[in-house]
Amino acid sequence: MTVSPVDVVIFAPLAPLFGVLLFWFIQLLFIESQKYLLSKIWNRHKPLCRFTNFLGVLYQTICHALGYTVTKSGISNFYVSVDYGKVAPKKEKKGIFEWMSNSFLFIGPFFIPALLLLICFLLIKGSGVEIAQSIDYTFAEGLINFGTNLYAFSENLFLFLVSIDLLHPPHIGFLILLIFLGMGIRPSYIGEEKQRKVNMLYDLQNIKAHIFHKPLYILMLFLLAYVFSYISVLLKTNWYTSLLSIFGWLSIVAIVSLIIAHMIILLIKTTDEIPGHWRLLPFLTIPISYALMRFILPFLTQKEYIASIALFVMLISTIIVVFLLLKYTTNKLKTTTKMKESRIEDGPKRSIRK
Amino acid sequence: MDQNDLLESEHVEKRLSPHPLSFMRLQSLCLFLIIWGVLVGWLVNFSEYKDLLSGNEWFPVLVWGLGLLLVGVIASLLTIQWSIFFLYLGVFAGAVGLMFSQGWLVESGIFIPFYSVAISIIGFLIVELYRRSHKYIISSLRIIFKGGVITKRERTLRYDKITDIDAKQGIFGQIFGFGTIIPISQSGFGLGSDKSFAAGGVEVGTKKVGFLGLFGGGKEVQTPRARSYYELHGVYPYKEIKKLVENMVQGHVITPYQQDQVAFQKEQVDIQKQMRDLLKKQIDSKEDGEEPES
Repeated sequence: MTVSPVDVVIFAPLAPLFGVLLFWFIQLLFIESQKYLLSKIWNRHKPLCRFTNFLGVLYQTICHALGYTVTKSGISNFYVSVDYGKVAPKKEKKGIFEWMSNSFLFIGPFFIPALLLLICFLLIKGSGVEIAQSIDYTFAEGLINFGTNLYAFSENLFLFLVSIDLLHPPHIGFLILLIFLGMGIRPSYIGEEKQRKVNMLYDLQNIKAHIFHKPLYILMLFLLAYVFSYISVLLKTNWYTSLLSIFGWLSIVAIVSLIIAHMIILLIKTTDEIPGHWRLLPFLTIPISYALMRFILPFLTQKEYIASIALFVMLISTIIVVFLLLKYTTNKLKTTTKMKESRIEDGPKRSIRK
Repeated sequence: MDQNDLLESEHVEKRLSPHPLSFMRLQSLCLFLIIWGVLVGWLVNFSEYKDLLSGNEWFPVLVWGLGLLLVGVIASLLTIQWSIFFLYLGVFAGAVGLMFSQGWLVESGIFIPFYSVAISIIGFLIVELYRRSHKYIISSLRIIFKGGVITKRERTLRYDKITDIDAKQGIFGQIFGFGTIIPISQSGFGLGSDKSFAAGGVEVGTKKVGFLGLFGGGKEVQTPRARSYYELHGVYPYKEIKKLVENMVQGHVITPYQQDQVAFQKEQVDIQKQMRDLLKKQIDSKEDGEEPES
């Protein structure tokens, strides 16, 4: 196969960049959807919503503080509350340093907390992830390699999640961190009286303003990416694609955590429709069904399948309990009875006379 | 509060008690005990390190005890409260005593998590009992603080005696909407102090003849602090209660305009008194038939 030099020099470095942008955008969509769900439960679950907001503000403030630390501006004041966070530098630096610390503030929350979780995952898993090797260094190959790397990581992550052992303290710790990341990856609002709503547009506007504030820096960043890509080609390594694949992994970790957060918020939202103490039943089903399965399954199946089956049974039994409660305690999921039966119940007055 | 306890023309504005999560500092001690106990149980019985810990029957006890006491020391230093360390020391000593007396040392891997959970449940119950013993009554004339599990305490604070109001809301408070309000009285009730002390030593001389010197310095900072019985601890809804107390205090404080009015009235009364005395003197002199002095 002939490789076009134009492809290698101009287009190939863009392939993993497009991949990162795509997954980051998917992440943004999930965040927006999660905020919509949170707004639906705001009135009945204010403490939970405030907690998620606190997590979001905390991540954002830590990222900003990290930005000041990396640029050696120092931190003179660090303040975090449920609805507001503030970091003040010791030295006000301008130019590239200011731009870098702002990058940490605007883009950091999407990747830095997920990086922490990725490290935890790799530590628990105890082994690395296979990386695809580059041969031709073309645009198509770059895209395929990026996808392959993401697939390999996703496979590992999903295999771990479907066999997660909820009686294993490090596994529980990882799950809690995953839920915390998903719940508060971005705050819903900033300011005591919800002065500023933080949605997808707010984030995108901030990033756009940040990029157009200093377009030269973005150009430099692109140049740097191209130089790094050329070095990888010259040394016949896959460093460039691998580095950007890590950003893809971070997006996948964030997306998975957002999906889990969605499931939890949906469960809360659905159980709100169930009257009285019945609404507690689905929440009790979760630990009871899991514990019961963990007790019974060792007598029935092989050791390696116990955690997965117990998890599956826990999820299914919770869904069934929610559906049954919705059907029998609310007017939801009520189906119409057959017409013939209705006529008999209504009597002759309602029957059609010819 | 009984109606008989109320003063004349006094009425109750609010009856309060602390929020269930307002004693999180105490509850977290029990929470840690559960988590650490279960973790040690898992390490000894199920983890990949179980062979390391099952070498000697004392290993699990030592690991559990060391972890407990280490956290106790750190928490005590951070909160300047040595009772935390002694509490954990007591829990550890209790466990060792029970294992010895009952001969459960061999089964320490099973005993430790169960013991930790049992002690924590007792701890949670005691904290809840302690919380429920607090009662705060905000009336139209004063704030009444009542409490005590065994010994009953009561503090009454009139609004005109309040000089400052200190209010604080932690992260849990901000999430669940509760907070602590400390009314500081003119006598300084509601104020505590943070003490810090630094010391250094030096040894001069050889092994035979030595001199040991010790020097140090202390620092004390006044800070609003009171026992939970003497403050509005973890009250809900925080903002509403704070506004109510501030309004009450404001309603009982004489404003500068009112102070001027009082001074003016006092002046008027003094003048009237002087006039009265003068008139009395004139009347007396007339009755005696003397000419009044001009």
